[in-house]
Amino acid sequence: MEDDGAKKEVMVTSMKAEYIEHSIEVTHFATSDMEAQGLGMPGLDDAADVPTEMTVSVEEQNPNDGRLEVMELKHSIDKKKKRIRAYSQKFRKEWIQMGEFQGWLSEGSAPDRAYCTVCSKELLAGKSELLKHANGKKHKKRLEEGHINMTVPTDLSSVLDGTAIPHVLQIVDLRSDTVTQPSREMKEAMFDAPVGDDVFSEDPTVKALEEKVARMLEKEAALFVPSGTMANLICVLTHCWGRGSEVIVGDQSHLHLWAQGGIAQVGSVHHRSIRNLPDGTFSLQDLRSLVRGDDPHWPVTTLLGTLCNELNLPLHMDGARLINASVALGTSPARLVQWCDSVSLCLNKGLGAPMGSLVVGTKEFITRALRVRKVLGGGLHQAGMFAAAGIYALDHIAPRLSLDHTNARAIAQSVSEVHSSAITVDLKGVQTNVVLLHCDNIRVNAKKLCQRLASVTDAESEEMGEQIVVMMLPITETTVRLMMHCDVKKDDIKAVIKKLKYIIQEYDNMMYLEYK
Amino acid sequence: VLHHCHRRGSEVLLGHLSHIHIYEQGGISQVGGVHPRVLTNLPDGTFSLAEMQRLVRGDDDHWPVTSLVCIENTHNIAGGKVLPLSWLDQLGTTCQELGLPVHMDGARLFNAAAALDLPPARLIRGCSTVNVCLSKCLGAPAGSVIAGTAEFVRSARRLRKVLGGGMRQVGMLAAAGLYALDHVVPTLSRDHALVQALATAMVETGSQVICCDPQGAHTNILLLECNPKIVTPQDLCHRMSQVSDDEAEATGQRVVARILPITDSAVRLVVHCDVTEKDIQMVIAKLKYVIKELDGKM
Repeated sequence: MEDDGAKKEVMVTSMKAEYIEHSIEVTHFATSDMEAQGLGMPGLDDAADVPTEMTVSVEEQNPNDGRLEVMELKHSIDKKKKRIRAYSQKFRKEWIQMGEFQGWLSEGSAPDRAYCTVCSKELLAGKSELLKHANGKKHKKRLEEGHINMTVPTDLSSVLDGTAIPHVLQIVDLRSDTVTQPSREMKEAMFDAPVGDDVFSEDPTVKALEEKVARMLEKEAALFVPSGTMANLICVLTHCWGRGSEVIVGDQSHLHLWAQGGIAQVGSVHHRSIRNLPDGTFSLQDLRSLVRGDDPHWPVTTLLGTLCNELNLPLHMDGARLINASVALGTSPARLVQWCDSVSLCLNKGLGAPMGSLVVGTKEFITRALRVRKVLGGGLHQAGMFAAAGIYALDHIAPRLSLDHTNARAIAQSVSEVHSSAITVDLKGVQTNVVLLHCDNIRVNAKKLCQRLASVTDAESEEMGEQIVVMMLPITETTVRLMMHCDVKKDDIKAVIKKLKYIIQEYDNMMYLEYK
Repeated sequence: VLHHCHRRGSEVLLGHLSHIHIYEQGGISQVGGVHPRVLTNLPDGTFSLAEMQRLVRGDDDHWPVTSLVCIENTHNIAGGKVLPLSWLDQLGTTCQELGLPVHMDGARLFNAAAALDLPPARLIRGCSTVNVCLSKCLGAPAGSVIAGTAEFVRSARRLRKVLGGGMRQVGMLAAAGLYALDHVVPTLSRDHALVQALATAMVETGSQVICCDPQGAHTNILLLECNPKIVTPQDLCHRMSQVSDDEAEATGQRVVARILPITDSAVRLVVHCDVTEKDIQMVIAKLKYVIKELDGKM
């Protein structure tokens, strides 16, 4: 008996080690390249904080004799800290050899997934879930018929049913408002547009677009460019015309973080970052203190991101989503850029054009900007086709942008109403077409949430009666971003809400361990 | 260029009359920090391989590091010249021995291929990377394509990103490109034939003011050399864009021909898929009239 107990103790110890190894993991997320991270790992905090004592009941199959046993695992607690821990079962290779799973069970595309090679379906790697699947009628039938499909599934393959014919999926892409496709009417406008060679300044539709936008923002002139990245790059390089220039830019700004350091790499302009506040602004006092004087040690500050009339420095606005801002405030875009010497505006985002942005400023500024566009290779020939899409967008899509905001709020509200502790949203922060969902980083992190949203489980499609895939983007370890845009229909909104609520419920139900 | 010359202190060897060197605002230097070292372009668009080898830098702190050789096919300023295949092959072998990659500015590569009646792939055999334009003789509204190894394309995507060249639903542009490759490429020799018709007609006038070399017109570009004492390239372009009443009476047509000056002494005419045979006939008629005018001034 004692021996048994001691053996058990030893087994517990070794299983405990295994258990911890499998279920509690130190993860390290880089915020930039999510793809390079591979698929989701259970997200938990620092391994150093793992408690040294707690009691957990786990049902395990004894690898020696195959019996199912309830094991009690003891861990001792770090009494100073109150922790909530959760685990999700990882797939265990030993299962493949087991009776019920032999011949069809395989690893899934993630550590907490398994794959049925007979049904071509991805499953959650919980033992009970796998047993349930094994006992299912469809699976048994297919197993008999000898279906084997060993290919590693993508997330979407999880919605293939027993006949391997994909269901009609509802896919809602909320990763960004850049995914918008040109409508038939927009394409017709593009088709009919008169064009010329814009490099010779002979494209009338490009001219029409440039004039339209300049007028709209009450500036002298505008320049059509292929992208928002190039628009901002051109503006900075045009302002910072001389050697040794510096620009003051928000430390969370797109220009500072998401343009590959272009103004430095390509333009030799120095970034001086200023701390962004949660509302997107920065302190004017901080700004004052950053402006350089005349000293050979220092670059000459030539560009700022906010009101700086007093400091006599030019101001550029990255207005990629300026129209969204203007709609949200109920103010004309011209009013918003009143103090700006230059503005960049995107047609390819919420406005729905296939590509293109505009640089806006004085005539003299645009003349120099044209030179910069040339050296960057941004001059397109018969660009009128795309300018036409931009004109269409400004006439027909800009006026309905408030719909995107309403839809965003609807989704945010539905998440807020659930009062989940796993996924939360700051309703007041939803001002335009963007919603940020915050994950508790215990049961779920940003990457996991996005993966879960983009896949459909057996249980889910049965319970919901639908197969909905929603695509969102993780933007930090714990924040997921969704963006509303003109390609999202009413049906889609309902589906997104339905899916979100279902998943949130899953997380809220997830087994967790609480101890004091 | 920025891909091949990614390290600090790189140098690229290229023709002194290449588009990259003359018409790109010094971009490789301005934006990429790369130093250009020119090789003397010969009238046929090539350069001396011996000169190239001589100019390859060794290992010395005074010297930048030679990282790339650039060639241009067809060669624009040389008059749309097709680089000889044998020279291309020799260049390829030589650069391989030197351990230098070769990039071809093949903006008009398809014209070269059509002129030689060879697949474009044959012409770039010795090249590591190539640039082809869809927006020129191929007729697409915009766009170019760069090609190379998978590793190059990965690196090129990053470079495209930082320059702001990444666009969204560009399938529309790509579709135009695909159409162009399928339907316009096969018609390129027609453009070449029209240039020959123009050139032959010019030679037939026997003018001493405006001269051209039909054999030197390999593709869709024709250079007309002007006698500087009588007319400058700018003047000729200006004259061609106007119609005098006398001209209209004499020729029975009112035609404006838009052409560009390209060197101190020559104007460039480029024939393309939007130019019809009738257009060429009218241009010939006009040119003949203008040449008579100019000859009269001699």
